[in-house]
Amino acid sequence: MALKAYDKLKHAVRYWLLRTLPTCQQTVEKISQSMERSLTLKERINLRLHLWTCAWCQWYLEHLYLIRKTARAKADESSEFIPGAGLSNDARERIRRRLTNHN
Amino acid sequence: MHYSTGPRLPISMNEPQGKFPVESPDPGRWLDDHGDYLFRYAVFRLRDNTAAEDAVQETFLAALKAYKEFEGRGSERTWLVGILKHKIVDHFRRAVREAPLGEESDEGPEHREFFERSEPWQGHWRDNYAPNDWHATPAELIERSDFWKVFNDCLSPLPQRTASAFTLREVDGLKSEEICEILSIRVNNLWVMLHRARLHLRNCIELNWFKS
Repeated sequence: MALKAYDKLKHAVRYWLLRTLPTCQQTVEKISQSMERSLTLKERINLRLHLWTCAWCQWYLEHLYLIRKTARAKADESSEFIPGAGLSNDARERIRRRLTNHN
Repeated sequence: MHYSTGPRLPISMNEPQGKFPVESPDPGRWLDDHGDYLFRYAVFRLRDNTAAEDAVQETFLAALKAYKEFEGRGSERTWLVGILKHKIVDHFRRAVREAPLGEESDEGPEHREFFERSEPWQGHWRDNYAPNDWHATPAELIERSDFWKVFNDCLSPLPQRTASAFTLREVDGLKSEEICEILSIRVNNLWVMLHRARLHLRNCIELNWFKS
């Protein structure tokens, strides 16, 4: 019984916060900026509270870091995995000629 | 089970460890061994075949000149990639001088359609565009070349400079100030570009990788 009341209260608080805090559209912009600079105290509090109420923006944040981590882990070797053609025959021959003329 | 490069010879049968012969730079072999790799590296960042070919050529020419300093220290490919990085940055600087970024320039799609336009939930995620749980870790994604293909294809529709800013930041890990200097933009500009690129890319990857 008490648990039910607690859940109801939690739900009401979350609902109220979602309506009061900056929207998801504003929050995703802050999430992106938080990866570039330190947010002000007010921005940090708003972001924390928004994330507490909104699973979607939580995932958004998680995905941005997942993309960053994946991309940076192999930055120098990324060509191993990036599909796509290598040099065209024309370009290869042009570069070869240029390198031979250099000698 | 197959070996794409063949089993490696014991080190003693190759050059002395970590050393390449200093006297005879062999640009023809560089081209054969590293040409495609360097080209893919460059085209992923420059998003332009001609510019990438030029960058590869300039890299080999610079490598010929700098060969003495290399003196066979470390891996030949790492050394060449190091030179190529500079050539890529040079290209960005040149491109910026030729076409400075105007005030009204295109920084990428705003994707307003991702969010509700009307009350009661104006500005909150619309159901079709709201992020889902990916159940993925970097380790699982890194070596999947099909993930990199989606990643690359998703960057393609972005304006070139926005895509470049994103790659410099999220792949190469340059600092904001460095990118602003290279692309000759203000930091607020950069933040808008990065935000739009992330919004676009995250959604595109979810649609084309996790939902397909």
